[in-house]
Amino acid sequence: MMATTTVNTPVKSPPRRRHGSAGVLFIAPFMVLFLLLFLAPLGYAAYLSLFQERLIGGSTFVGLDNYVTALKDPELLKGIGRVALFFVIQVPVMLLLALCFALALDSGLLRLARVIRLGIFVPYAVPSVIATLMWGYLYGPDFGPFAQISHDLQLPAPHFLSDSWMLGSLANIVTWEFVGYNMIILYAALRTVPGELYEAAAMDGAGAWRIAWSIKLPALRPALTLTLLFSVIGSFQLFNEPKLLMKVAPAVIDSSYTANLYAYSVAFISQQTNYAATVSFILGLVIVIVSYAFLLTANRRRTA
Amino acid sequence: MSGPFSNSPSSLSRRGFLVAAGALSLAACGGGGGGTSGSSSKPVGQADIDKAMKTPTQLTFWTWVPNIDKEVALFEKKYPAVKVKVVNAGQGTPQYTKLRTALKANSGAPDMVQIEFQAIPTFTITDSLLDLRPYGASALKSTFVDWTWGQVSGSGGEIWAIPQDTGPMGMLYRKDIFDQHGIQVPTTWDEFAAAARKLHKADPDVYLTNLAANQVAAWHGLLWQAGAKPYVTSGKSDITVSVDDAVSKKLGEYWGTLAKDGVIGVEPDFTDAWYAALNKGKYATWLTGAWGPAFLSGSAKATSGKWRAAPLPQWDAAKPSSGNWGGSTTAVIRSTKNPVQAAVFAQFLNSDPTSAKMFATEQFFFPATKTLLSEPSFLAEAPAFYGGQKVNQIFADISAQVDPAFQWPPFLDRVATDWTETVGKSLADKTDTVRALGSWQSRITTFAKSQGFTVKAG
Amino acid sequence: MTTATSTTATTVKAKRVPAEAGPSRRSPTRRRSTPLTIAMLAVLAYFLLPLFWLLVASTKSTQDLFNTFGLWFSHAPQLLSNIKATFTQDDGVFGRWLLNTVLYAGASALGAALLAAAAGYGFAKYRFRGHGAAFNLVLGAIMIPTTALAIPTYLLFAKAGLVNTPWAVILPSLISPFGLYLMRIYAEDAVPDSLVEAARMDGAGELRIFCTIALRLLAPGLVTVILFTLVATWNNYFLPLIMLNDPNLYPITVGLSSWADQAQNGGAGASSDMFALVVTGSLISIIPLVLAFLLLQRYWQSGLATGGVKQ
Repeated sequence: MMATTTVNTPVKSPPRRRHGSAGVLFIAPFMVLFLLLFLAPLGYAAYLSLFQERLIGGSTFVGLDNYVTALKDPELLKGIGRVALFFVIQVPVMLLLALCFALALDSGLLRLARVIRLGIFVPYAVPSVIATLMWGYLYGPDFGPFAQISHDLQLPAPHFLSDSWMLGSLANIVTWEFVGYNMIILYAALRTVPGELYEAAAMDGAGAWRIAWSIKLPALRPALTLTLLFSVIGSFQLFNEPKLLMKVAPAVIDSSYTANLYAYSVAFISQQTNYAATVSFILGLVIVIVSYAFLLTANRRRTA
Repeated sequence: MSGPFSNSPSSLSRRGFLVAAGALSLAACGGGGGGTSGSSSKPVGQADIDKAMKTPTQLTFWTWVPNIDKEVALFEKKYPAVKVKVVNAGQGTPQYTKLRTALKANSGAPDMVQIEFQAIPTFTITDSLLDLRPYGASALKSTFVDWTWGQVSGSGGEIWAIPQDTGPMGMLYRKDIFDQHGIQVPTTWDEFAAAARKLHKADPDVYLTNLAANQVAAWHGLLWQAGAKPYVTSGKSDITVSVDDAVSKKLGEYWGTLAKDGVIGVEPDFTDAWYAALNKGKYATWLTGAWGPAFLSGSAKATSGKWRAAPLPQWDAAKPSSGNWGGSTTAVIRSTKNPVQAAVFAQFLNSDPTSAKMFATEQFFFPATKTLLSEPSFLAEAPAFYGGQKVNQIFADISAQVDPAFQWPPFLDRVATDWTETVGKSLADKTDTVRALGSWQSRITTFAKSQGFTVKAG
Repeated sequence: MTTATSTTATTVKAKRVPAEAGPSRRSPTRRRSTPLTIAMLAVLAYFLLPLFWLLVASTKSTQDLFNTFGLWFSHAPQLLSNIKATFTQDDGVFGRWLLNTVLYAGASALGAALLAAAAGYGFAKYRFRGHGAAFNLVLGAIMIPTTALAIPTYLLFAKAGLVNTPWAVILPSLISPFGLYLMRIYAEDAVPDSLVEAARMDGAGELRIFCTIALRLLAPGLVTVILFTLVATWNNYFLPLIMLNDPNLYPITVGLSSWADQAQNGGAGASSDMFALVVTGSLISIIPLVLAFLLLQRYWQSGLATGGVKQ
């Protein structure tokens, strides 16, 4: 009896409170490391962001000047704008594909389902260094296979690495890398839908599409929220792929192509650690705002 | 900057253990760390030097030269008490980035480091290099080619590094393509431009040359050849920047027009597409440094026998000149705990006749020493890749034409990135290169001012 | 919180084998759709195309890489000699890199999973002051981009003398906010309070309960966290790039990248053949992870199931 009550009233039941101090001990190792390895550098970076260091003249305290400069910095704003655009284009496409693939796999209509599932997931196991190496080659405007095939077919070669296509080419690489991962999360969520629900729906005469709409999609909502949240963070922090493609397309991808890449360039090329910390915080703030805005809308929709 | 976290009193017994473990491993490495070596130019006595060289020492040397352990072994043979650990921490810019980070943290920096000529001022502005004069380096002046000595010398007469190899610029060309289209080897830039148009018209799949839109080093080399002095530093904080002066504009006009008319390639170099292009005969010449011939013979084996070497085309046929692209030195980090041994190493590695010769024969570097540059066996080499031509002789002659007074900026990485985003981009996008030069100039001056320099525009 | 569904879900899960259960919950005579299969196979081809290129490219010499069509083999395949060259280059440093990666990824994955399990259990089963704030702080932490925070981390690590040691790579990887989130959900779902209460009434201490009862129940979630942290650390590039100066300490990502730099910037002799090694090395480095995922499929699927269902 006590057990049932506990399950149905999950918040603030006395047994949990009584042993609360044990809880602190359980979370302690994680939190201590978190403090040391994450909060400490973060704090230090915040401290650094209040200073300015110059090659001539050393380090001086400038208060919030760096932040004021950053908020007016056209390179940073451009970089943020670009990843926002990237997010708006790439993430819906990727999640839609992941959803379609997950539904296809869950439908039971596929032969070789296991092979297909694993094959779509494999790119997730490939580090972005290697992924960009492979795609950088495939995109090659002279000697890449697509270029060679178009050449043989007397068609103009596709300009994957040109100014206008570049964001799309990057989106392709990121989608290739992560669709499988998102698909698996959605697929796993689909697998937990109890069989009885399907039997009940079949008895009511619901067709495949109706089932998908009324049973599967609602079951996917939490998983979709999760994948969307991670995608927000991932796309705003876009760094690896543009940095690695910079080598083959330096005229298109400049050092401020994405906000994160800008932070890196400021830190390592211009050697302005302090301003780089400022830029990182501002980017982090943007991500926090977008994430929470998104979470709030998602929760409001759910309770509505 | 001590920061507020160095004396945190909280729980951290785990941290204490880690610090101890870390300290043990660090000690085993013998890496550098807060140094005390002086910056005085009082010469260290020979007796002290000898004593230091007999003390068991562990040195760390960051370099990306392949198979350098052969030359290092010569040093260790002469000074058995001193052991040198060779670490490849990256090539060029990645290594400099790591070095700067390590210097900033005062932890993990090596004793000696390979630094290219153009990067030296970037490390002297931060007082990171050790002046080698007290350790007898002045005596080496006559060993090395004059312009290289100028490159490693500081404004106060300091000697910041010892030259290792050089890259005076010349032109490698495909004789077979020239013959096929009836093109004479251009000796002036006007002839070069005409040849570029003629070649591309005759065969639209081939370009006379490729001026990479991401290779600021080539641009600087060509500026150097044209007699420009884009960066002049006087004292520590005064700098004159003139990357859009008359000479630069002349180059901008010249190359911008060729790029806009589509008669030269502007692909990024050292990518696999570029290697493929060289192998397949897409480019009929390569304007490159003296390391180019050996490099090409390893990377474009399919075209063996078809290449020849020649000097760069000239602006003024009566006054032949050239610039330099690449070439490295060995420098000593100021904070090293073993300044004497490190300084002796830097000098030995590059001036000992056997070691210097090995660089030429094992790694195929182009020498920086006067002896090697006039050595008959070196000059007589006639590789089959170049149809039996005496390539070394040609580049040795070019080496004598390199202007000795070219200076580099104290923030090279920033300048390079800015070039790629302005001038390089204008070449790739076929827009106004002269205007791009103006953008480059203003970007550099803005940055320099923000860093506290007093900037004059030249 | 849909507690009803969650209980049902747990019951259903307990009844059947995780992972493959498609046919058992539908009518066994369901028709397979050929058009859909063909469409999905086309999708599969897209995903495997770059890997196919990698495989083909690994059989070629550097010269052939430049001179032959990318998606088909050359006339003189030399996969075995490429593999041999990869392992012997630079005194066998490639093998060293693989071992380093196994060490870093393995230690990080195990450590991260244990820490996340303990902390997830703590957050799930106990209430204490700062409970909500601490959890949200950790989740919010992943939103801050770490690229330019690398330098402050480096500076702090340098003070502790940890730079250029394996600790510099392992320690930061022990914190997995995703792992914490997953383990908390899993602990709430898979470790019933009734069980914990019963054990308490039997006189068991909290730690004992955790080690003997909870960990066993948390096992699938644990394996999931291990696997995903394994991937994240295996593929981690930026952190080790900043923290490590000695090539003998590099993981495979940084090592291959340094070879790629060497190949690009060329040079005569050995360096000019490096492209083939970079490609072959890349192929070899992917295999362990793919195998790990293949062999441990059933675990991570069920572990993810819970994480995906709950909010």
